[in-house]
Amino acid sequence: MPTEADENENVSWRSDSGVSADVTRWERADEFFEERIRKPAIVAWADRRTRIGLLILGIYLGMALIAVFDLYRAPSTNQATQLAGPFQSWDYPLGTTMSGVDLLSLIIHSTPDILLMIIAGSVWATGVAVLVGTLAGYKGGVVDRVLMSISDVVMAIPGLPLVIILAVTFNPKNPIVLGILININYWAGLGRSLRSQVLTIREDSYVEASRTMGVSTPRILQKDIIPNLMPYVTVNFVFAARYVVFASIGLFFLGVLPYSAQNWGVTLNYAYSGGALFTWEAAHWLIFPMIAIMGLSLGLILLGQGMDRVFNPRVRTRLAENSESTRTKTDAAMTEDH
Amino acid sequence: MGHYYLRRTARMFVTVFLVASLSFGLIRLLPGGPFSLLRANLLRQGVPASEVDARIANLQNIRPDAPLWEQYADYMLAAGQGDFGTSIALGEPVSRIIAQAVPWTVFIVLVSTVLIFVFGILLGAIQAYWEGSRFDQLVSGVSVTLMSVPFYVVAVLALFVFAYQFGWFPTAGTVGVGVETGVNMAFFTSALHHAALPIFSYTITGIGGQALAMRGNSIQVLGNDYVEVARLRGLSDSRIATRYVARNAILPLYTGFLLLLGFRLGGTVILEQIFSYPGLGYYMWSALESNDYPLMMGTFLVITVALVIGVYIADLTYGMIDPRISRGESDAY
Amino acid sequence: MTTTSERLHRSNDAVEDPILEVKNASVTFDDGETYVLDDVTFSIERNEILGVVGESGSGKSMLASALLDAIPAPGHLSGEVLYHPDQHTTVDILEFTDDELMEYRWADVSMVFQGAMSSFNPTMKVGAHFQDTLKAHNESVPDGMEFAREILSDLYLDPERVLDSYPHELSGGMQQRALIALSLLLEPEVLVMDEPTAALDLLMQRSILLLLEDIKEKYDVTMVFITHDLPLVASLADRMAVMYAFELIEAGPRDRIIGESAHPYTRALLNSTPNIDAPLEEMQPIPGKSPAPVNVPTGCSYADRCPLATETCTRDAPSFDQVEDEHTVACHHWQQAREEIALSFAGGDEAGRSTGGERR
Repeated sequence: MPTEADENENVSWRSDSGVSADVTRWERADEFFEERIRKPAIVAWADRRTRIGLLILGIYLGMALIAVFDLYRAPSTNQATQLAGPFQSWDYPLGTTMSGVDLLSLIIHSTPDILLMIIAGSVWATGVAVLVGTLAGYKGGVVDRVLMSISDVVMAIPGLPLVIILAVTFNPKNPIVLGILININYWAGLGRSLRSQVLTIREDSYVEASRTMGVSTPRILQKDIIPNLMPYVTVNFVFAARYVVFASIGLFFLGVLPYSAQNWGVTLNYAYSGGALFTWEAAHWLIFPMIAIMGLSLGLILLGQGMDRVFNPRVRTRLAENSESTRTKTDAAMTEDH
Repeated sequence: MGHYYLRRTARMFVTVFLVASLSFGLIRLLPGGPFSLLRANLLRQGVPASEVDARIANLQNIRPDAPLWEQYADYMLAAGQGDFGTSIALGEPVSRIIAQAVPWTVFIVLVSTVLIFVFGILLGAIQAYWEGSRFDQLVSGVSVTLMSVPFYVVAVLALFVFAYQFGWFPTAGTVGVGVETGVNMAFFTSALHHAALPIFSYTITGIGGQALAMRGNSIQVLGNDYVEVARLRGLSDSRIATRYVARNAILPLYTGFLLLLGFRLGGTVILEQIFSYPGLGYYMWSALESNDYPLMMGTFLVITVALVIGVYIADLTYGMIDPRISRGESDAY
Repeated sequence: MTTTSERLHRSNDAVEDPILEVKNASVTFDDGETYVLDDVTFSIERNEILGVVGESGSGKSMLASALLDAIPAPGHLSGEVLYHPDQHTTVDILEFTDDELMEYRWADVSMVFQGAMSSFNPTMKVGAHFQDTLKAHNESVPDGMEFAREILSDLYLDPERVLDSYPHELSGGMQQRALIALSLLLEPEVLVMDEPTAALDLLMQRSILLLLEDIKEKYDVTMVFITHDLPLVASLADRMAVMYAFELIEAGPRDRIIGESAHPYTRALLNSTPNIDAPLEEMQPIPGKSPAPVNVPTGCSYADRCPLATETCTRDAPSFDQVEDEHTVACHHWQQAREEIALSFAGGDEAGRSTGGERR
């Protein structure tokens, strides 16, 4: 009879051996692509909301590229007549501000920084959440209790006021730092729900099998657990991004976030304090930045909802494997023996 | 069971304690430290340099020359007694300012949260009942659109249209000038009149998400065996709809209460500033504008405590209304 | 022994005093193209235990729902389901108004579902389910609850404790028994059970079966026991019916179905069933897959898995043949099946015949 040590050696020898592992690694990568990327992508794409969402986000990406490569003039004061109305001139189609800045160029040139901020904030929020959630859920015991207690406290602090105080304290101007700052405690709630998902996956037989075989914790987390969380994490990435849009623009609008260049929120603030509230003539100064904000968050929400369908296993098998046999099988399963 | 409530209560106090400590730490990190502005102010007022420290200590319960741990102990003790020092800009005790601001903020947050729940649940339930109908599709579309509108956008637009352009609503304040505070009709209507637009902004942007969640939950519950069994047992549609479907669909929404509440409480910083509505958020913002650190920290602490208490109540009541929550393991959210 | 005069009164499947008769019942989905129950005709004798056996996806749950006219939404039930409250009264439940149907369900024919846990509202105490049911049928709640306590005690449950518990606070076996008690609350004539023990461990299955026999005697109820587990129901049933691919293929007294089954599928099913007595090598899986609802073959639906299939089988659907008085089968070659497909377990054909003889 082999001892326990023997078996452990066996396992590590098998998984790390040179040539054969290469082959399986390719196969595994292939399978990973098929199962985790291609099929979910097909399912997500089949939903109209995903397509519209991606289209909208594509427009913003295009605007960001235009700004980065300087394909449209940069905003500056007195580049046009003051408070020109919208749709009256091809030179400044969206009109101008009180100080004669072209609104369109203002909106376009705000995009790169805002996108950077969004990406930084949501990468931070979901990254920390995945780390905390998987560790707490998988390790359990003291690690779990400590991490969850910390999450509870962090979750109990209202986001905006905390961000305001931190912004005043540290005065960051870099969009990446700002993005992280805005989502500074967003991870706590997400981490908690990821933890409960990990608890469910943990009980699955294949994870238990890996554990009894002596596979190391980081490896189990990486191979068995995190891939199963990916759809949920992706959807929440999108929602974290939306939160960054809402919160950052709101705080810029409030004038509490430091800024180096104008953006939609700052424009909104100027319009608001510059008297756009009192007269219809300046309404466009308020309305176009608002449309920019709402468009971006609409794109994110539609994308998130479309991807949410990846969760639904019935829809997933039906769309991903479009063969006749599968369809009848799922139908039979639906109508019989529920 | 008793054990659970005890532990949950203890956790609430620990959370408040930790947040208070955090705020103490943050004050120290503020540019120029907590007292530079006050010191400058006092010197300008002609207070002799030798007495400044004593005056500061008198006003803020903290002796600037004491060692850090003593400052910490003093700060925590004072905060525990509800004493957050004196506002630099307004010259009044922070606690007094907060005491008269809290009811307004709680009023707005509570009313809008209740409205969001009620309307969201009703809409979502109707949508689920007629799943796939015109109505369902229309409401879903509107919900998604509303979800992508930040509340402050609605707030600014509502202020622009209904207050400034049409003049239907006041542009600032909590009650009309000269209206006496008390239990009388004039005060009541005036308060509602002033709060209408802020509440509207919060509610209209929150209903969509809530309706979508309720719709999804209801559809899921409708597919459960126990609904079919109840139908076979001859129960009336209304009984099934309320006791079997609605209740089980609403329960998970209750857990989202925390996020909703936190978001709304924090959002008052923006909302109340737009409507010049002197609640907690408004004072926090104005403290920020004038570098009034005692007021800033006081409002921050009180907003946090309000959230902690809200979640605490939600947690306890959730355990009471959902029998499946085992009291040993708190997983209400 | 049966006499000729008696035989004259019988319908095709030899039931003297049927309480429920199902005639040409079909359930269709998708505009009548997809059949999940295909032209099923059979009767249930008053006070018997009828065991319905079929693999999952054979339409047996549909059969159960059909008895209560409770086919899930997009499905459509056609044919006749005749209910005889007594020997001289006949009503077609498919003609019922909504109110009549509401009265009929649970009070005349009630049902126990597969998963007990999912049959109870998780946020309501078990007792409240009983009260709700009584109120919905305008019964006196105190009297009804008194009766409920009696049934619960008969099922070896502590009535007060169970009624005051939430479903999740009870074990699986307790939930299942509580559900059986709930189904008996209005003293129904017929109790339809759809895989009532599937989620339980073997010991609990056995003890519930034993309880069911006592319950049947005491409460004078006709039982329809639907399961995929042939040996399980064989120990309980008086008569058995076998389903395959949404059709009924064989019906008869228990001992004849077990010992002298005539349909190749039933015989294959018996041979594929694990049996403590039989060595593992003798167990034979049935090759092939049962057809999906959309492409049920034109002839006999078992033809492409049947070792005896001929051209006739793929062309013509077999009608019911009488094997012996009470034993009917839908197969063109049932005589051949009994000769060529040997039953592998001890007590096959020969032994079966002798027990069959003892019974009559």
